[in-house]
Amino acid sequence: MGKEKLLIIDDEVEFASTLCERLRLRGIDTTDVHSGTEGLKALVEIAPNIVILDLKMPDMNGIDVLARIKQHDPDIEVIMLTGHGSRAAGILAMEKGAIDYIMKPIDINELLEKINFAYEKHNNA
Amino acid sequence: MKYKPSWLAKMLPSPSKDIEHGADLDKGYKNFSRGLSLLLTILVLVPLTIISILSHYQYKQLLQKDELTQLMLNMEQAQSTIERFVSKLQSIIRFVARDDRYQDLIVPMNLEALFVRLQKEHPDFADIEIIDSEGMQKSYVGPYHLKAQNYRDQTWYQEVLLRGVYISNVFSGFRQVPHFVIAISRKHPQQEGSWVLRVTIDGKTLQRFVDTISTTSVDDIFLVDAENIAQTRPQQYGEIGKENVLYSVNKTISSDISRFLSKHNKLLPKESDIIVQKNFNGREVLHASVQLKDTPWRIDMVKELYLQGDAWSSFKIRLITIFLCCAIVAVFVILKLSEGITNHIHEADKKRQQFLIEAENANKLASIGRLAAGVGHEINNPLSIINQKTGLIQDYFEMSGDFQYKESMQGALDSIQNSVVRCKTITHRLLGFARHTDVQTEEIDINVVLQEVVAFLAQEATYSQIKICFELDQDIQKIFSDRSQLQQVFLNITNNAIDAIGSNGQISLSSKKIDQETIQVKITDTGMGMSPEVERRIFDPFFTTKETGKGTGLGLSITYGILKKLGGIINVQSEIGKGTTFEITLPVKNS
Repeated sequence: MGKEKLLIIDDEVEFASTLCERLRLRGIDTTDVHSGTEGLKALVEIAPNIVILDLKMPDMNGIDVLARIKQHDPDIEVIMLTGHGSRAAGILAMEKGAIDYIMKPIDINELLEKINFAYEKHNNA
Repeated sequence: MKYKPSWLAKMLPSPSKDIEHGADLDKGYKNFSRGLSLLLTILVLVPLTIISILSHYQYKQLLQKDELTQLMLNMEQAQSTIERFVSKLQSIIRFVARDDRYQDLIVPMNLEALFVRLQKEHPDFADIEIIDSEGMQKSYVGPYHLKAQNYRDQTWYQEVLLRGVYISNVFSGFRQVPHFVIAISRKHPQQEGSWVLRVTIDGKTLQRFVDTISTTSVDDIFLVDAENIAQTRPQQYGEIGKENVLYSVNKTISSDISRFLSKHNKLLPKESDIIVQKNFNGREVLHASVQLKDTPWRIDMVKELYLQGDAWSSFKIRLITIFLCCAIVAVFVILKLSEGITNHIHEADKKRQQFLIEAENANKLASIGRLAAGVGHEINNPLSIINQKTGLIQDYFEMSGDFQYKESMQGALDSIQNSVVRCKTITHRLLGFARHTDVQTEEIDINVVLQEVVAFLAQEATYSQIKICFELDQDIQKIFSDRSQLQQVFLNITNNAIDAIGSNGQISLSSKKIDQETIQVKITDTGMGMSPEVERRIFDPFFTTKETGKGTGLGLSITYGILKKLGGIINVQSEIGKGTTFEITLPVKNS
């Protein structure tokens, strides 16, 4: 059993980097990238086991990136970040293979719970 | 293709133009109804009137022709009867006055014997006399002592010599009895000159004949001479031996019938004359006159116009009755029809207008929804960054040791986080308005929701001395809907009610079961009320009558949107100075 390795994919640089910093402070190995394309590259380079993925990005749609991640490695667990307050988008993402979703602005403790749950699931897979 | 309204449609009021003025709109529909009635009435009554007038004239002409024909038949009959009678008298006298009988007849005994024989056949023969070629009376048989008269210079004697026969007018003479004379002249067989046989006949004989031919179909029948002197006794028009009144009165000729008569000239016998004139009573009469052949007389017939008066008046009464009945029925049907059509159009226009207003509201809501979604989304991102940055600072604070103001700074950071949470609620609500927030259905007791809402506002109402009362149906069924959104709906409306009252007033909240599927909530205030213009716009986004800064103009717009989403309907009735009632109908289950 290794350690959780987290990748944040979000076009909002300030948000992604700050969240990355906060998770690192909590001892989680986290990397942040700021576009869908970079995110797909980072899959190979970093090989994360959990991805926090924004639903809306300028270059690629979060749902498409999710599909590519699952194609690359179905064991990678994805937590969707939805910015526009809709449960429907989150539920759609879950149907496409995401383990859970969280609405912005996020509560760090709620996110940590979801990360733990995802990691447990990843390990059981 | 551009729609061109027909001329009839132009008469209709335009609800979109006239909706600002409800009274004008009503007037417009009334005018349309009146216009339509008038048009249809003209369309129906004009042909009906034309047909009635035509029938009237056709029937009148028919009656007149019939009347004229009847009169002509009577006249021809009378003419031939009298002519035959006179001709018979002439034949008898000619027969007894053969050329060679002069010598025989100048013997008084022989003449008397002839007179006796003639009187046996014709008792009206009054006397008989023989006149020689010099005009001297040679022999006379009769009741009077007319001996040795000389007629040489008298007109009738000249005439009988010239023409061979003479018939006199009826005259009284010294006998004082109406009579006439028939004289025949005969040539002497062996000598120059002519002798004359003259017979005097009692006028009664003519009167008898005229009486025989008189029928009920004519009013009067009599003979006149060339000077219009009555030769027989008229029943109504004048006296025997005097000029006939019809010739002496002012001959006012009714032009229409005269024109009409000219069309029927063919019907008239030769040498006849027929006119319409007014009699002494002022009534129009048909006066026909025809010359009797070989006599100095004309036969006159008088007949009051429209003898078939009963038939004519009954026809007129029937015609007028039918016309009036048709007109009344037509006008009644037309009025009902116009009213029906106008009401139908009015209803259709109202529905169309309602639909347009709803569509407009929906459109405005969709626009505001898109705007809210955009704003919500854009604010959400910086809000997330503030949230994370604050979180990060808090993380660092937890890891670092104590320093001056650490506690105050942590308090400030908590305050920022709290504000972020509040902002999050607002953005979620904005996004909710844009229908991005799902409806969370739960079982709700609507009475409880109403009481909760009032509890929020109770203090404000008390300050403004506003009494809030409930009329809640305790048996109302529970519904499945979104509690917090319904709270927002009732809160918005009750809040507006408090604002509308200002101070001193009452707000009533009532709930009622409509049927198994629907319930109704009414919120009534005794506030200032609204004008129809304001009432029409209250659901428009950003429409507000409150002072600047006090209202966003989104409250009722959001209320409208929420109720649409929950499958409900909201209606408003308001009257200036009396107050406003909001009527909310909700489904028990939103399908």
